Amino acid sequence: MPETASPSRANVVLRSALPSVLAIVTSLVICFVAVALLRGGVAVAVDAFLAMTWGAIGDVPKLVDGASIAVLLRPWGESATKAALLTLTGLSVAVAFRVGLFNIGAQGQLMVGALAAAVVGAGLELPPFVHVPLCLVAAGAAGALYALGPAILKLRRGVHEVISTIMLNWVAVSLVENWLVPGPLRAQVGGGNSVAGTAQIHESAELPRLVGEVSRLNAGIVLAVGAALVLWLWLSRFVGGYEWRAVGLGPEAARAAGIDVSGAVVRAMVTSGALAGLAGAVLVLGTEQRYPATLGAPYGFDGIAMALIGNGHPLGVLATSVLFGGLRAGGTRMQLFGVHKSFPELIQGLALLLVAARLIWIRLVDRLAPPRGGGP
Amino acid sequence: MTTIALRGISKRFGLQLALDDVSLELKAGERVAVVGENGAGKSSLMNVLYGLYAADRGEVHVDGRAVRIRTPADALALGIGMVHQHFTLVPTLTVVENVVLGREPTRLGLLDARRARDEVQATCARFGFSLDLGARVETLTVGSQQKVEIVKALHRGVRTLILDEPTAVLTPQEADELFSVTRRLSDEGLTVVLISHKLKEVLTFATRIAVLRRGVKVAEVAASASTPESLAELMVGHRVPTTTATDPRPSEVVVALEGVSAGKLCDVSCVIRAGEVVGIAGVDGNGQRELAEVLTGLRAVDGGTLTLLGDPARLNPGRARALGVAHVPEDRLKHAIVGDFSVAENVALGRQRQAPFAKGPRIDVEGRLARTTALLEAHDVRPRSPGLRIGALSGGNQQKLVVGRELDGAPKLLVAVQPTRGLDLAAVDAVRARLLDFRARGGAVLLVSLDLDEVLTLSDRVLVLHEGRLTGEFQRGAFDERLIGQRMLGVLDA
Repeated sequence: MPETASPSRANVVLRSALPSVLAIVTSLVICFVAVALLRGGVAVAVDAFLAMTWGAIGDVPKLVDGASIAVLLRPWGESATKAALLTLTGLSVAVAFRVGLFNIGAQGQLMVGALAAAVVGAGLELPPFVHVPLCLVAAGAAGALYALGPAILKLRRGVHEVISTIMLNWVAVSLVENWLVPGPLRAQVGGGNSVAGTAQIHESAELPRLVGEVSRLNAGIVLAVGAALVLWLWLSRFVGGYEWRAVGLGPEAARAAGIDVSGAVVRAMVTSGALAGLAGAVLVLGTEQRYPATLGAPYGFDGIAMALIGNGHPLGVLATSVLFGGLRAGGTRMQLFGVHKSFPELIQGLALLLVAARLIWIRLVDRLAPPRGGGP
Repeated sequence: MTTIALRGISKRFGLQLALDDVSLELKAGERVAVVGENGAGKSSLMNVLYGLYAADRGEVHVDGRAVRIRTPADALALGIGMVHQHFTLVPTLTVVENVVLGREPTRLGLLDARRARDEVQATCARFGFSLDLGARVETLTVGSQQKVEIVKALHRGVRTLILDEPTAVLTPQEADELFSVTRRLSDEGLTVVLISHKLKEVLTFATRIAVLRRGVKVAEVAASASTPESLAELMVGHRVPTTTATDPRPSEVVVALEGVSAGKLCDVSCVIRAGEVVGIAGVDGNGQRELAEVLTGLRAVDGGTLTLLGDPARLNPGRARALGVAHVPEDRLKHAIVGDFSVAENVALGRQRQAPFAKGPRIDVEGRLARTTALLEAHDVRPRSPGLRIGALSGGNQQKLVVGRELDGAPKLLVAVQPTRGLDLAAVDAVRARLLDFRARGGAVLLVSLDLDEVLTLSDRVLVLHEGRLTGEFQRGAFDERLIGQRMLGVLDA
């Protein structure tokens, strides 16, 4: 693009991504050293990290030894499933960031979205090409509505969105997991048997598998990548996205320029809620096939980490989520080496902590490679 | 008799050399002005003398003896005091309490109020100050508060008094009074140092003038041998063309206010015509901000009517823009630009949905780039890098860009609030020239400035605001600085 003579576009991208990359690399190194110290040596740590890697990207050595392609496809399925959920919740938090809001409520929005997908998936019988989109729309709408409240409270009454979204997370737990799922929506199973969670969704509502029964690789990752691309284009190429960014970076200047600040905040927050709701749908339609007794992993909160490490950039969030989705999938393999399977979450937490020190990284980069161009 | 000598003072901030081998001598009973543009190093030099900054190199001598001044306490012990632009008074304490604060006379461990009062009284009498000693400081005018600051320094036995841009907050009357006070002090044998960039006041105040440019002392001249033009040339390093207004040709009414009230603004009626600059004179905080916000749609009108181009208008920022109101706001970084946006993105701000900045719902990157490049060229904004983060530009270049952007869409009315504050002289001149050029092309300008000189130089008509009400109107040719000053203070009959 001819827009700049200085500094080059590649340089700008590199500079904004570098702190995150350095933070992740540093946290991996620290964790490697920790494993080496606590589990009896560098050799063990190397084995453990290799196991995690093969668990994430597929068992390449076995493939070389002549195993079937399934040794790649099966890990890919696990990695992609986790990456899709992290991407969608990460985008949810990131898009709110871009208009200057901190949406802590992705978890609650994900829960109502998951429930909506479970209800529509089990309650209706439709052909797949209608059923799946309908479930997704229902989940997105539920999440969006759940995020609309905090946005309106913020604009009308000045209620801080951090407070309202945190509280709504607990409302979601009470409403969905303490009442609806074990109560009115509990699966009715004939013969006096009882199943925890809601009724199983129809097969027509399941997210299509991409490579058949060999792997759990499903359309969720396609949806997540698509969402990241759309959001990236919206923010960088469309006037509406430009206005969102203006509102986030300079709300007063945006107002003085005649931008509809309230409208931008509401639309971004609704988008944020819809993305978290979609994550709930991907979890139910792709993996759980019902709303289980409890959801388990707090993907909504992981979304905050993805947004922060990804620097609020849709493609940064996508890259971060793919990495940590893979590490999580591969992390289970580390158990063989006496490392708990939640180890990747430790890496993630450490990376988040180090990203928070962004300014230190920027200063370090500036010292090692002073910015060029820019003129006097 | 004290003589202070600064010898070879150098001070570096990061990569910036703020002071480069500067020497200056101050003799007892002198009035010395240190002048220079923003960032020339004049405040830095005096902060070194007052112990706020440590010099990297150089020495300070008092009466021929090298001294080390590490803190303001050291400076005060040597008889050097400083009055800053922002006062360091406790608003809820009385004048006496503020003056003795830090070295209160005590009896049995308690404040000896009578002795404190007597001592402060004595100081005031000696230097000829009349102050209501029992009044709480928050009830005093800004000019009186400044006197309290000066008395406070004198009360500590200061023999050298540094005043940092003291008239920035004063009316012309108060400034005159300040200068007669300083004359009295120098007659008493005190040394007074004035930091300023206002050349007219420097010439009325000083006996000797030191000129700094980019951290270097470029000249030291006698006030009697200087003119504002010669000082400006020394400060900038080349001749500065001074902007002067030509005859106005006001025509149709662009905006009319009738009994408008909004916030502090109270029952204001006035018109602004095409082809004229209407200046607002007033002490800070007397309704200027509200007036500008009403005209730009940022503030709703509580009462009265606003008529824009003949139609009654209920404005919001978007509608004001659409109707042809351009705005150069007071706080550039907060209201005019988005610091983390590129130069090109900032040029689009406010017109982002129109050609050439948009094609339908999409950003027209090419069109935006072309328009930005043209604007950078036309307004001499440096560097000419549309992709650069605007926060990386100097204040002067940011402001030139903002003024250029606001005048780019052929507006009808320009609301300019403090458009040249904090800019270097060249940028000040560029901005003023743009305003007058816009007027010459038939634009209407509302100029709000706390710098009365600026208002008088550029305006065809001056309105005076005091406590939200219009207290005077003056036509070019009939500007009376004294009378305007009185109206600014709310004195209606003189």
